[in-house]
Amino acid sequence: MKPGDTDAPIDDQFGDLMEQIGKLEPELPKDISISALGGDPAEELPGAEPEPVYDVKRRSNIQGDIIPGFNKDHQHFLFLRLENLQQAKQWLKWIAPLITSMEEALAFVRVHRALRLRLGVKEPSMRATWVNIAFSYRGIELLAGTAEAEAFGDQSFRQGLAARSTYLGDPTDPQHPGHSSHWVVGGPEQEADVLVIVAADDHGDLVSSVQRIKNRAKQSGLQLLFEQRGDTLPGPLRGHEHFGFKDGVSQPGIRGKVSTAPGDFITPRYLDAVDPRARFFAKPGQLLLWPGQFLLGEPRQHTEDLYSSAPAAATGSSFPYWAALGSYLVCRRLRQDVPAFWRFAIATASTLGMPTLTFASLLVGRWPSGAPVMRTPAADDAALAGDIWANNHFIFNDTTRPSMLRPIPGYAGDTFPQAAADLLGSVCPHFAHIRKTNPRDIATDLGKPHDSMLRMILRRGIPFGDPLVGVKRPSQHLLRQERGLVFVCFGSTIEDQFELLTRRWSNSPIQPNFGGHDPIIGQSDRRGARERFIDVPAPGGTRRVTLDDEWVIPTGGGYFFAPPIEAIAGVLSA
Amino acid sequence: MALVTRFDTPASVRDLPANSAFYDDWHNFLAGSLNTTAATGTATGEFYDASEVNVNVLAERSLVWMAFPRQVLVAHRDDRRAAFVEADGDVARRDPQNEYCEWHVTRDTAGKITKVVFVTESPEYWQRLWAAHRAAVVGLYQTLVDPAVSEADLRVGGPGSDYNQFNRFNTTDGIVHLIQNINTLSAALGLSQQSIHTGAARDNYETPPPGLRTSVDPRVKCDIGALARTGLSLTLREPIGLYITGYDDTGWTKPDGSPVDDYWRIVRGSPGRILRLAYEVPAGAGFVVGDLLIGGRRIEWGGQIAEHVTCTVAGMAGTRGRG
Repeated sequence: MKPGDTDAPIDDQFGDLMEQIGKLEPELPKDISISALGGDPAEELPGAEPEPVYDVKRRSNIQGDIIPGFNKDHQHFLFLRLENLQQAKQWLKWIAPLITSMEEALAFVRVHRALRLRLGVKEPSMRATWVNIAFSYRGIELLAGTAEAEAFGDQSFRQGLAARSTYLGDPTDPQHPGHSSHWVVGGPEQEADVLVIVAADDHGDLVSSVQRIKNRAKQSGLQLLFEQRGDTLPGPLRGHEHFGFKDGVSQPGIRGKVSTAPGDFITPRYLDAVDPRARFFAKPGQLLLWPGQFLLGEPRQHTEDLYSSAPAAATGSSFPYWAALGSYLVCRRLRQDVPAFWRFAIATASTLGMPTLTFASLLVGRWPSGAPVMRTPAADDAALAGDIWANNHFIFNDTTRPSMLRPIPGYAGDTFPQAAADLLGSVCPHFAHIRKTNPRDIATDLGKPHDSMLRMILRRGIPFGDPLVGVKRPSQHLLRQERGLVFVCFGSTIEDQFELLTRRWSNSPIQPNFGGHDPIIGQSDRRGARERFIDVPAPGGTRRVTLDDEWVIPTGGGYFFAPPIEAIAGVLSA
Repeated sequence: MALVTRFDTPASVRDLPANSAFYDDWHNFLAGSLNTTAATGTATGEFYDASEVNVNVLAERSLVWMAFPRQVLVAHRDDRRAAFVEADGDVARRDPQNEYCEWHVTRDTAGKITKVVFVTESPEYWQRLWAAHRAAVVGLYQTLVDPAVSEADLRVGGPGSDYNQFNRFNTTDGIVHLIQNINTLSAALGLSQQSIHTGAARDNYETPPPGLRTSVDPRVKCDIGALARTGLSLTLREPIGLYITGYDDTGWTKPDGSPVDDYWRIVRGSPGRILRLAYEVPAGAGFVVGDLLIGGRRIEWGGQIAEHVTCTVAGMAGTRGRG
């Protein structure tokens, strides 16, 4: 079966599964307060290293999709090429005031939380439209000059995604639909200089804002290479990706404070000071990272220590002075072949003698609801999935100890069975997507779990295309439509974060541990051969299953840099 | 599993006839290095000598780590080029290459890399082989490095003197086995056995003592410590050795942009248990290793290849048997 062969027959079982997953609705904890505004002095840990304070000036200079992230239902991505530089710089001056800062986005999130509490509703009526912008190496070179562009220390950024494509495991065969020559954007000669991300709560707001930006860009001589609309999946599938699984459950927590007020942290802290893990977890399972892992020029994670900082890379040697508080942005447009994924899951589960959903959940490491296999190996558990203090609380190598939480009004505590030790990967296999890309406590080919913290990224992606999940009898028209994920992530290095996760772990059958490729996003291309495998736990050992089809196909993207907001109307449009 | 009657040589290599006393000597060396020891701290398992203790093996596990020294990588966190320069730099002692894998780079007159050889063989093996059969060692050096090697090149002094592991064919002019200060099999065995003592650690976040900046040491400490906490009996899998298990040339290209052919050659050992691995473009291709690109970057240092070489040591875990 060739990737993208959507004409392949689908059977009733596929339709039944799509319908079943579409009915999932995680149970949300009721009547629970989340983090007081202005901080809670009880969140402070005695003797802890002081964390950097991001005052209004600095918050207003950081793009909001980096921190706290554009968690909107609708987003639109504009991939632009610079033509007339003088006009383009005028356009930058025009768009600069529209760029949404961390200050604005964080204020919105906090007010949203407060309204949820006060009104007692899940989704209070608030809406906003946000804009962020990022530039490729070539874009910065054109706007600010070669010396400024070359001052970026990340060599992968300077090379660009197309040049790194096959290193990431993308197809080397020009006939393959995922080969960079077929990409809708970002392939050779089709690389964007500028990426604009527009996000909105309301569809109409998004459309009008995008149109306004496009019109102005056109008037300023910018060429629109490609545009992509993204939307969260509808109804109960909000937050799920197209295969049907809840996505983005686990994100690192960012250290740092909004003000000097005690406890006024960017990332709320829920562990009680008596629990030693309070020093490096924000909430159970959410590791705390120093902001320099995502913002240039800020204190970074220590390479050997769970909770100490290390100095930022020096301005001037690793990035130009004006780039401080900016972040590298990786964008990958990934097409998902939903029937191919489930065809494989149905056939293999049948061969292995296990329920399809169980097998498919082993591939991900979570059930469709988002409940982790480590905590509920036998069946999905919507209540667990909906409990934010429990759904990410597990380690792999040792039995997970309950966390000691600070009092959370209305929360009865994590009463779900804790995860048992799974060093050998017999519960959550070594190949499982969440075990590959976030090894947690596991030692890896790079040593201690402390090193894995250096690899974490902030994921900000959103699905595109109409879903099949929830549709029992999809039409041929629907089946043939493209769908997938606009993968977006931020980090302070592309090579040691995104690329390492992709190449070193997802694409390797032996790293960070033996057991096969990541069956969701892993790729293998050995001189054109793209076969992958997984070693599925079975009584008495493992059974090797070959993956001779592909269900995630790269179709575009780029490496960008999201600058501090001051630079947009400053050095980049000077 | 039955008791191990005689520990085999790494990758079961046969450098001497099968009836040589050398193999008993090697067994005795390993048996003398391994001690059955109960864990301490929070762990309840044990490390056992498989030639003395019978264990029902429940699982086997191979631990992997990157051949390129992590310590060098993190020391040059913002300058990979500096990391490559440092890791390749000390050809006389290979001091930075402290992950139980060392390499030697050969360049042409223009300075381009023509060949990189990786080894994981321990000095202990070669010292014992020298003691058993000097001519065999000389013959192997001639085959592996240079036909001109003589016995005098390999010893510390006059005829009959000891083996000089820092001879020029294992340092400046080639490579045969590990020489870095802590890259010994004894050190690896010691690390494995000591790792069952987990102290107060309840999980891997509490395990690695500060200062272990390599990949391999925390890797072994974490994995063996976690296994020991399950109460199992642990040992290293036969044939005991340090191996290269993987190498990844995905995204490597020839000068014309097409994917590289398979230029890897297992010189000693076998797939999964590689003791000596060479990377060299066959003569007549019209280009050399130094003309190849990794992800669009020209190969200028051996360390660029070492980043994509994976090492392993294998262990077994089980419960005490009755026989």
